[in-house]
Amino acid sequence: MRAELHLARRYLGRLRRRTHVATVSGISLVSLALGVLALVITLSLLEGFQSTIRRELLQRSAHARLAPASGRVLPDAKALVSVLRAKLPNVAVTEIVSGTCLARSFADAIPALVEGRSNTHRVAIDHILAARLGVGPGEQVEVISSRRRLTPLGPVPVRVRLEIADVVAPEPGRESGALTVPLDVAQRLLWGKPVVQSIELRDPADPWHLARQVRQALAGRFPGLRVDGLQQLHRSLLLALSMERIMIFVAVGLMLVVASLNLLCNVAMIAAEKRTDLAVLSGLGLTPSGLRRLFVLLGLAIGTIATVVGAGMGTLVAVTLDRTHALTLPRGVFIVSSVPFRVRPEMVATVSLVALGLAILASWLPARSVARRDPAEGLRYE
Amino acid sequence: MSERDRMVWLHDAAKAYGEGPRRVQVLQGLDLEVRKGELVAVVGPSGVGKSTLLHIIGLLDRPDSGTLELDGTDVSCLDLEARAKLRNTLIGFVFQYHYLLDELDARDNVALPLRIAGRTGHAARGRAEELLTRVGLADRASHFPDQLSGGELQRVAVARALAMEPPLLLADEPTGNLDRENSEMLFSLVRELHLMEGLTSIIVTHDEEMAGRCDRAFRLAPAGERSGDV
Repeated sequence: MRAELHLARRYLGRLRRRTHVATVSGISLVSLALGVLALVITLSLLEGFQSTIRRELLQRSAHARLAPASGRVLPDAKALVSVLRAKLPNVAVTEIVSGTCLARSFADAIPALVEGRSNTHRVAIDHILAARLGVGPGEQVEVISSRRRLTPLGPVPVRVRLEIADVVAPEPGRESGALTVPLDVAQRLLWGKPVVQSIELRDPADPWHLARQVRQALAGRFPGLRVDGLQQLHRSLLLALSMERIMIFVAVGLMLVVASLNLLCNVAMIAAEKRTDLAVLSGLGLTPSGLRRLFVLLGLAIGTIATVVGAGMGTLVAVTLDRTHALTLPRGVFIVSSVPFRVRPEMVATVSLVALGLAILASWLPARSVARRDPAEGLRYE
Repeated sequence: MSERDRMVWLHDAAKAYGEGPRRVQVLQGLDLEVRKGELVAVVGPSGVGKSTLLHIIGLLDRPDSGTLELDGTDVSCLDLEARAKLRNTLIGFVFQYHYLLDELDARDNVALPLRIAGRTGHAARGRAEELLTRVGLADRASHFPDQLSGGELQRVAVARALAMEPPLLLADEPTGNLDRENSEMLFSLVRELHLMEGLTSIIVTHDEEMAGRCDRAFRLAPAGERSGDV
């Protein structure tokens, strides 16, 4: 191995004296470095947008939800809430009742989701419903339930008039309008009694493992209960995000494959130019496996330089663009004001390993044919 | 000659190049025995297969048929890896053209077989400097091939051939590219090292006078004709 390392170092060190091989090697190096750079920047951009989406998801959505496995009402909800508050003191527990009602304003009357939450005493309307009904803070909305109550005049729908306190952004993934009201208001509107349909939990410290913690805390004491974590609640969105990442990696990674083919041509060219040297090395006792190692080391050296340069520059560009907010976005259209970049070390490491793997493969193929050559052949044609 | 005294034994060797009508039979039914410590010159007209013979003995090429024994070991069936290792330890080569590596200086070129054998850089360089001193090029150790003259290049090649202290030295027209003065100097050097190191040496040459100064001259005849000692 010492001889191969020594030779690879000397070949690369004195490469500049051989103009055309140096030029082709330089082109291989630059193209591989560009491939790595493009992949690091693209994945950082993607990660920047995706982490913004995930952050919004964590801020606005429940981290876990408890619902009855069958039926519409949670049995023994009070006991369930007490156990959760006792066992998970740092987790926010919110009781929920929800159903569809008719929301009416002076302008229109449209069906809307009414959600009663135990953690609010104010009435909030989301942007979608507020725009459709043409209402804002301080204005009133009449909510008419499909539940009826008996009056001396016969059965009439239950209705309440609510003053809007806040207009809020809709929950991620929700496209129809929704109204958030205090729990007792929703219970009166939808059920006429204090029932709970589901329980939402939030734990900002460890949101992705909350469902597992809840299952452990309940330990099978409440059968007929379904516990959904973030992964189940937002399955399609999270799947789409990871699919997007894989597809972008593969598509932009093709650049690396093209650059590796370039490197393969370069190493094959060095092998052809060094035909006699290789025969002499073989004559001096370098084994076929040693010759293979020599060429893999050459490819690996070019690949390592290209990867270090590409990954370094890609990281630098991504971090600079993120910190300087150089690429601005139109206000009000996106949830962020500039294009976000996020460099994850494991992502850079994966790109680097793929680039190095391709460089080794690209140099191993010509190395294999070099090793199969008869040493006398190289001397005979000189 | 007893088996113990024999360094090279080539028996009934044949070698041809090309296929079909373009096939050229270079060697046929060739026998050659070289005693340990002997200095043998191989002579013959151009194209008769002198280099091919040397390549076969030096394990750079395989005969199409026949047996080759080196230092009592049948090497005909060895695989590529084993042949390479044997070349490193058993055989020293000097070619007509020096074939030094342009990227390495004289010291590193001489040290190359030692590095291939796994010696450390320090030990290999030390031995290389010792050999360069013996061939009179101590002051040229850090010169690259393009900074050396033709005679100096061949002397470096001789030093490289002896780096691993091989018992067998093969030289393929080592003076073919040199002027008279340098040829004489190089041949004297090879003969001196042959005697001092106790080598077995086979030298391919066109120079009848040089062949006459060897222990024995072996005339290689075209395939189908009888080859033998002069």
